[in-house]
Parts: sequence; structure tokens; C-alpha cells
Amino acid sequence: MSLLRVENVSKQFGSLIAVNNVSMTVESGELRAIIGPNGAGKTTFFNLISGFLRQTSGRIIFDGEDIGDLLPARRVWRGIARTFQVTEVFPELSVRENLRIPVEVASGMRLRPWLSRSADRTVRARVDELLDMAALAGKAERLVGELAHGDQRATEIMMALALKPRLLLLDEPTAGMGDQETYDITQLILRLHKNAKLTIVLIEHDMRVVFHLADRVTVLDQGHLLAEGAPKEIAANEAVQSAYLGQAA
Amino acid sequence: MDTPYTKRAADVLIWLLLLTMPYWIDAVGGYTQLGSRVLIMALAAMSLNFLLGYTGVLSFGHAAYFGLGVYGMGLTIKYLVPSTLAGMAVGVLAGAAAAAIIGLLIVHLRGIYFAMVTIAFGQVFYFIAYRWNNVTGGDDGLSGWSRQPIDFGFATVDILHNQRAFYYLVLLCFLISVAIMAALLRSPFGRTLLAIRENERRARFLGIPVDRHIWISWLISCIFVSLAGTLYALLNNFADPHDLRWDQSGDFVIMAVLGGMRSFWGPLIGAAIFVVLQDYVSSETQNWMSFIGLFFVLVVLFFPRGVLGIVRRKAAS
Amino acid sequence: MTQLILYNVFNGLIIGAFYALMALGLSLILNLSGVINFAHGGFLAVGAYLAFVLVPYIGFWGALVISPILTALFGLVIERILIRRLYGRDPLYGLLLTFGLAFMLEDGTRFIWGPQTLPFSVPDWLSSQLSSEFFFLTGYRLFMVLLVTAVVIGLFLLLGYTRIGVRIRAGTLDLETVSVLGVNVRMLRSLNFGLGIYLAGLAGVLAAGMLGLQPNIGTDLIMPSFVAIIIGGLGSLPGTLLGGLLIGVASGVTTVFFPSASEAVIYIMMGLVLLVRPRGLLGEEGRF
Repeated sequence: MSLLRVENVSKQFGSLIAVNNVSMTVESGELRAIIGPNGAGKTTFFNLISGFLRQTSGRIIFDGEDIGDLLPARRVWRGIARTFQVTEVFPELSVRENLRIPVEVASGMRLRPWLSRSADRTVRARVDELLDMAALAGKAERLVGELAHGDQRATEIMMALALKPRLLLLDEPTAGMGDQETYDITQLILRLHKNAKLTIVLIEHDMRVVFHLADRVTVLDQGHLLAEGAPKEIAANEAVQSAYLGQAA
Repeated sequence: MDTPYTKRAADVLIWLLLLTMPYWIDAVGGYTQLGSRVLIMALAAMSLNFLLGYTGVLSFGHAAYFGLGVYGMGLTIKYLVPSTLAGMAVGVLAGAAAAAIIGLLIVHLRGIYFAMVTIAFGQVFYFIAYRWNNVTGGDDGLSGWSRQPIDFGFATVDILHNQRAFYYLVLLCFLISVAIMAALLRSPFGRTLLAIRENERRARFLGIPVDRHIWISWLISCIFVSLAGTLYALLNNFADPHDLRWDQSGDFVIMAVLGGMRSFWGPLIGAAIFVVLQDYVSSETQNWMSFIGLFFVLVVLFFPRGVLGIVRRKAAS
Repeated sequence: MTQLILYNVFNGLIIGAFYALMALGLSLILNLSGVINFAHGGFLAVGAYLAFVLVPYIGFWGALVISPILTALFGLVIERILIRRLYGRDPLYGLLLTFGLAFMLEDGTRFIWGPQTLPFSVPDWLSSQLSSEFFFLTGYRLFMVLLVTAVVIGLFLLLGYTRIGVRIRAGTLDLETVSVLGVNVRMLRSLNFGLGIYLAGLAGVLAAGMLGLQPNIGTDLIMPSFVAIIIGGLGSLPGTLLGGLLIGVASGVTTVFFPSASEAVIYIMMGLVLLVRPRGLLGEEGRF
């Protein structure tokens, strides 16, 4: 059974149809990239899956369960975590604190008024693990708001990972990054995909990243599903090319 | 600057000062009752700050719950049972009940809207205290009652005539309240509040049920503020509808901001400065209102991060 | 009985008109600049006292015209010095600053004119009764309702059809875009604030005629203004108008049956609206 099945989902804002009858199936363990020209509705699509917006029509089925009516926090509990186009972290808290919070929430501790020594140690160990995975250990005590963009993004990804999700949604993880940072983030995502066997769907504009990472690619254009297939097929697809070129012209 | 050792040292210093206050307050030109008043206001301001500085939620109507504590104490001693402890219980329960219900109505609102609604609800309670003459004494306030001695079984403490004993009662309540709040803020639950303050959207997308947690934080904050109210009633042996007015709410906020919203002891410092200032100004001039108003304006313009905010920045540079 | 109810409904409409006038000014400032002007009552008082000063020289009608303008100018000065520093900041600071300002204004008026109630003379022919059957229909009350109606219509015409009005409305929805389109946002905010204060000053002159002149003349009116905005819906001027009228009428009618609860009823209404329709009667979804 597929992990995520999006069936004929549409989202309408008044007379504007941002997402138009899009269907997508993601298998467990897959790394899927969603691409498309600006305004294609990619982020809106993510917003629908993660629960930030409610679909106008269609169904969203996660691990066999229809989650279309669930609020974002509940979808998180079901196992869907996401990052945002503009990095959403806790700026005046340290990296360590930023990671600690999702670890505690994922361990069911969010209402705990008190933590035992051993529980505290377990949490700290997990946070250290996450810090090492992203090579952030050296910056653990710094305030996230003061870090470089790439490190902020890495923190955000690790926060999502801390939730032990089954599906990770990454919205333009390399947006606004230079070559080195892009490379680092791409390696991080690859590591997560391999080690944690995580199902990942990411929105990307940078084709190098797409080719490096994706098993399959879904192309959206002006709210429609334009094409879907292996990266090489998509690259050769004429409709896709003209959609992008049409934008450029 | 905020290494664990400096924090610990500051804590110890503050507790030492508070424990010995009755003994040094006269030397600096004050009096024990003033110290009690500072502590009570500090408790109120710190309770508010639990919500404001740590959860990031602005309530400008906290005087309502403060007032419920005040009148709860007064009405209990005057009409129900002449017991200080009973008065405390009633005051806190009243504040908690009101906060729980009102919280449900408003917890999904944000920002300006939330602030306005808290102001309006604050006004409701002021209006009740002001109008319900038969019960509350109306504009004249509730008098004809006073602090009742506390009976521990083996000893009875007269807190009415012994200002020092009263101070230590207040300090005890302060200590317990503050310890609980500090523990909560250091817990996983407390961290979820920080998360909500820092980035509500991110908190939501980490699976934190934001509205529910805000409601809990609101409730905790109001409970301790109503405890402060009961102590305030005892301090004055009087219940005044003015204790419920929006200017009282504003005073709590300015104390928190003045001392530094982002630090735990900030509101204590803010309360100390404000209470002493208010005491001085109102005894010196008729136009104390203008001075207090000017004070508010100056704090907003020049000290938005508060005293401890400035100290922190100086140390960091 | 019907006469009694009618009297109170009409009375309520007058009070409601007041609340609406003040709430509209408050709402204008809140919507465009995001500042809760706690000092709005103070400006009302300034308007009232300025009128008091002017009446001996230019009469009631002169004061009615000039005082709100002077108050608005005063408001512009305050905006320039103080309010401007609040834009874009946490609403906490706006509340604290205007709170302090309210204190200073109230104490200032008390200092200059004293705490006692001052007499405010309204032209005789206005105070006369217009009809013995409807004894409540005094000229002054009718005049007030007519004036407020005219002002409100004028306001909505201004917002709907003049350039600055359109800019204010656009700015309320999206200030960033408006500024990118070349509009001087600073001046827009100032003028908007001035307009709001003008309304407060006007309300002050009218209030002086009806309630008498004391330093805290404005503080009693600010709370109902808040409630009017909450009930009508944040961000909606028609909502604010509706809210003001509704609470005025509600409290007027309640006076017939439960006189002491007439003030309470507006808060009960607020509670109900929050419970049933949290964004207000005419408020926009998801605005806050």
C-alpha cells in the first residue's frame, strides 16, 4: 500500500484555482521531487498535504487513512513533518533548544511539567544524535536566528526529523543558497534518506539537486499535473520544457 | 554572561535580599509594608510575565483576576469565615474559575484582538465590583474586615499587627509560586510555551496543540495573579474596585516590561522600581498621574527591553 | 409602555451614535496603523475642553466647527512625536504608550481646568422640546443624531470616493503594496490618525453639551468603543458603526427592565459574539 495517495485534489480561492485536480501516489521509502515553474501551485499543494489549507475537493490518504479533515498538529502526530519555504525556526532559542522541543513532543512529553534525570538524559542523547547527523554540534549553543542561512535550514530539517516522521515534506530546501550550502544540504537529505529510510517529498527549483536526489519527479504547471516519471524522462519531456521556456519568455 | 554560575549567584543574592528585607529596608528609607507591597506586585507581574514574556501572549486585563483574589479574600473574611487561609483559597478558586471559562472564549484569538478582548473582560469585573453595592461596597470598597491570625495548631501568628510576620507570609507565598513557575518553565511543557512565543506556526507544525497550551498558560498565570490579589487585600485590609481597573492591568504590564520581559526576575525588578516610584511621586505631588503616564511613555520609547535587557546587552558586547 | 420603550430606544440610538462616532475614529487608526489608541478618550476630552474655551468667542457653532479641527491638529503633533514610533512594533508597546498618554491627557486637563464639572452652554433653541407627545425629542438630541449621521455619511463618502480615502482603505488591506505603488505611507498614516482624532474631538464637543464637562469625560466612553469594534468585527468600519448602534440600543432597552444592568448588557453581547461568531458580525475571516 502506498504511503501517500493524493486523489483528485483541488484548491480554489474564490475564482482562482491554485491546484486543479492533481493526483499523486508516493511509495514508502521513495524520494520524490515536485518541480514546476513559478505559480504552479507547488507550495499550495504542500499546504494541502500538511494541513495548513483545506482542500476544496479530493482526498488525501496517508497510510490508508483519510486525513483531509485533520488539523496540522494532528497530521504531525500521524507522521507528516514539513519545512517551509521561508525557514521557520525559533530564532531566539539555541540550536540545541530548537531540537529539544520536537524531540520532547515526539516522545509524548509536551504536557510534562517535570522531567526525571533519566528521561532528561535520553532527550539530550537524542538531541546530540541529531546535531551530529547535521554537523551542527559545534554550533549547538548559538541562537538559531544568528546562524547562516544554510545552518538555519539544516536545523529546521533536523527539527522535522526529530518528530520521527514517516513522511518528510521539504519546501525548497536549497532556496537562496550558494553552491557549497546547496551541496551540504543535498548531502544531508541523502544521508537522511539512506540512514533513516525516510520517505521524502521535496519541492525544488535547482535541477542539480533534483537529479542528484530524486527517484521520481512530478511536474506541476499552473495547478495541473503536467507529467510524472523518472528524472531522465522528465528532462526529455517536451511539454515540461515548453512549460519552463514559456515562463522564461 | 548567563552562565549557570552567574544565574545561580543572582538567584542566591535575590533570595538573600528578600529573606532579610525587614532588617535592611528601614536603613534605605523604606518600611516593611512597602516591601510587602513590592513582593505582592512582583508576584502579580511575574505571573503576568509567565503569559507575556514566556508564552508571548499579551493580556491587558489581568487586574480582573487580581481583583477576584482581592474581593475573594475580603468577602470571605467579612461574610463567610474569619480565616486568612480560607480567604486565599476562595480568592484563588474564583480567579481560576473565571480564567478557565473566559480562557475558553478567547484563546483562539491573537494579537491586538486578544489584547482588546482581555481589556473588555477586565472591565466587566471592574463594573461588577463597582456596581454591586450591597455585596462589594461599590465605589467605597469593602472594609470592616482585617487580616486574621493564622493558626498552625502549635502556634498562632498575628499577621495583622506584626508587619514582619505578614511580610514573611507574603514571602512564603511568593517563594512557592515562583518555584512552581520556574519549574514549569524549565519543563518540557514550559519549552512548548517558548516555542509558541518564538514561532507559533512552527510550534503548530511540530504537533503542539497551540490553543490548548495557551489556555493552560493563561490559567496558570491567572491563578498566581489571583493569589497576589488575596495578599494585596490582606496588605490593605481593604478591597478597592480600583484594583480591578484597566490601569492596574497596565501597571502589571509596565512592571514586566520595565524589568525585562525575557528574564525570570525582570518583573521583580520592575515591580520594585515602579512601586517605589509610585509611592514617592504620589506623596510629593498632586499630578502623580501625569508622571506615571510620562513614565510609561519613556519606558516604551527608551527601555523596551527593560532593565535586565540592557544589562544583558552590555554584558554581551 | 410603548412610549417608554420608544424613548429608551431613541436614547439608545443617541448613545449608540456616540459610541459609533468614537469607535469609528478608534477603528480607523487601528485598521491602518495597528495601534490601539487607548488615549482616544483623552483626545475626546481635549475636544470638549477646547470647545469650552472657544464658545465665549465664537459661540457654540463656531466651537463645533473649530474645536475638532484643533484637536485633530493636536493629534497630528502627537502622531509625529510619539505614535509614529509604534508602527510595525509589537502591539504591546502601542498599548503601553497610549495608556501613558491617556493618563497625561486626563491629568493635564484636570490641571488646567480643575476637577469640577464645568458648565457647557448649548444654544437655547437647540435644547427646547420639539414635541410634547414625544417629550424626549429635544432639539439637541435630534441635532446630535442628525450631525452624527451626516458625519458618518461624510466619512464613508470620503473613504469610498476620494483619493486619500481609497488609499486609506487600500493601506488597511495591504500597506506594503500601497507603499510600493508610490503612496507616501508616512503621510497617509498621519492623516488617517488626524482623521480619527477629528472624530474624537467632534464627539467631545457633542458630549460636553450632553453630559457636562469633566476631566474623565472620555474614559467612560472608551470601553464601549472597544466593545463596539469587537462586536462589529475588527477591520470593518461598517461593522464598527453597527456595533456602536447595537450596543447603544441594547443598553437603552435594558434600562427599561433592568436599569442597573444596562452597562453590563454590552459586555454580555460581546461575550455572545465571541462565542458564536468570533470574528465579529461583519468582520473578515482570518484577519486575526
